[in-house]
Amino acid sequence: MVVIERSLDEPVYEQIARQIRECVASGELSPGTPLPTVRVLASDLGVNLNTVARAYWMLEEEGFIRIRDRSGARVAAPARKPAGDRERLRQELRETLARLRQAGFTSEDLHRLVEREIASLADGRDK
Amino acid sequence: METRIIWISFLVLLGVIGGFYFLFPRISRSGLLFGVYVGEEVSKSEAARRITRSWYLGMALWLAAAVALALIMGLQYQSVPGSSAALFLLPLGFLEEYLRAYWRARKLARGRAAPLAAAVILTEEPKPLFLPYMAMGFGLVGGLYSIGYAWSHYAQLPDLVPIHFGLLGQPDSWRPRSFSTVMMLPTMCLVMGVGIAGMAYLIGQAKRAIRYGDQGVSFEAQQRFRRIMANFLAIVSLLLTGMLTILSQSSIEVGLRRAQALSPAMMMLTLILVIFALAGSIYIAVRYGQGGSRLEKSAADRPLTDGLADNRLWVLGMFYVNRDDPSLFVERRFGLGYTINFGNPEAVALLGGFIGLIILIAIIAKFAS
Repeated sequence: MVVIERSLDEPVYEQIARQIRECVASGELSPGTPLPTVRVLASDLGVNLNTVARAYWMLEEEGFIRIRDRSGARVAAPARKPAGDRERLRQELRETLARLRQAGFTSEDLHRLVEREIASLADGRDK
Repeated sequence: METRIIWISFLVLLGVIGGFYFLFPRISRSGLLFGVYVGEEVSKSEAARRITRSWYLGMALWLAAAVALALIMGLQYQSVPGSSAALFLLPLGFLEEYLRAYWRARKLARGRAAPLAAAVILTEEPKPLFLPYMAMGFGLVGGLYSIGYAWSHYAQLPDLVPIHFGLLGQPDSWRPRSFSTVMMLPTMCLVMGVGIAGMAYLIGQAKRAIRYGDQGVSFEAQQRFRRIMANFLAIVSLLLTGMLTILSQSSIEVGLRRAQALSPAMMMLTLILVIFALAGSIYIAVRYGQGGSRLEKSAADRPLTDGLADNRLWVLGMFYVNRDDPSLFVERRFGLGYTINFGNPEAVALLGGFIGLIILIAIIAKFAS
């Protein structure tokens, strides 16, 4: 289920992309699963077609979905990213960890947090 | 005898329309009160019940006034147009009582936070609806056949052609033959048959308003209701096309003096159509409720999401205006059925086109007379 909260600072297209990303990462949406068409999702959410299209393009760029003209958008299978992309993702993780450290998390807290998140992703995939 | 039957039909129709108006608050979605989203708890409060009670009382008075008018006009003056005025009185009363209840409900909704918007990502493609497509095809074939039949017999028709028929199918009004007089009924067959089937198809694609928290039940209820409404309208379209096709052909046969009255098959189909449309609407309303609300079961207490729940997007609780939303059809907030998204130019053009065609046919009919 995708839920949009207009009162949040996060743009609507990012809210859509984030939730689909989470569904894919947790295994709720398995590779090959068709996503609703841009029109259907925009209609159900009551948002502009461009907002949903932007979220889909973003997800395609990140490798979460594949967009084909005829069959629409489908969840993509995990693929090994090029070295440049992986380095960028590592940098993002590092920045997030630095922010968490600054927010008062100790190294042990960070270990527990990361392990818990990895476990929850694995649980979702095992379902 | 005929006047009496028409007059009794007016009374029955008054009862059916009045009955529907009385039914509306009972089939309403939890959380909605006279076109306003007040929330699931408030909609069951004493304040909400007071508004509903006063609406029932007001509608009862309007219905009594309409029946009294029909009785006076029918019994005292034997006037059919006078009796039919009662049919206009009832929607007028409905509008007055609705607006009064709407403004009172608005006060209960003050201070509500903006609702969330939610959508379900389906992992399985829903099966496409077959009946609306079939009805569209049948409407097209029936309409074109009627036009072709009228066209091919136009030259053989006498100077006076029948334009109105009594209850038993005998012609009771004639007009000088003209192309527009003869072609009006077949054109109506094409426009109405295809138009209603097209509407059925679009309702099958209408916006879904689900409840947040218990997506399964609420979503299934929405899907089921949309399919039921779409199939119901498709069957109405099929019956209407059948009836108008036979009527077009039969009236030309009467015009050519090959038959004394309209075909009994047409009379039978008309009866079936009226009974099906009325009984079907009542059954859907009672069995499924507004937008399938009676199928929601455990989800009924969860908050309704954006679309139906956002009061800022509804003018007077009747007109949905959302420029961002690409939906053409959305569920009504009060009563049964669907309305268009007045913020979507495509939806407005669609409605305008349909109304325009009907007005055009009416203008042609007027000039033909």
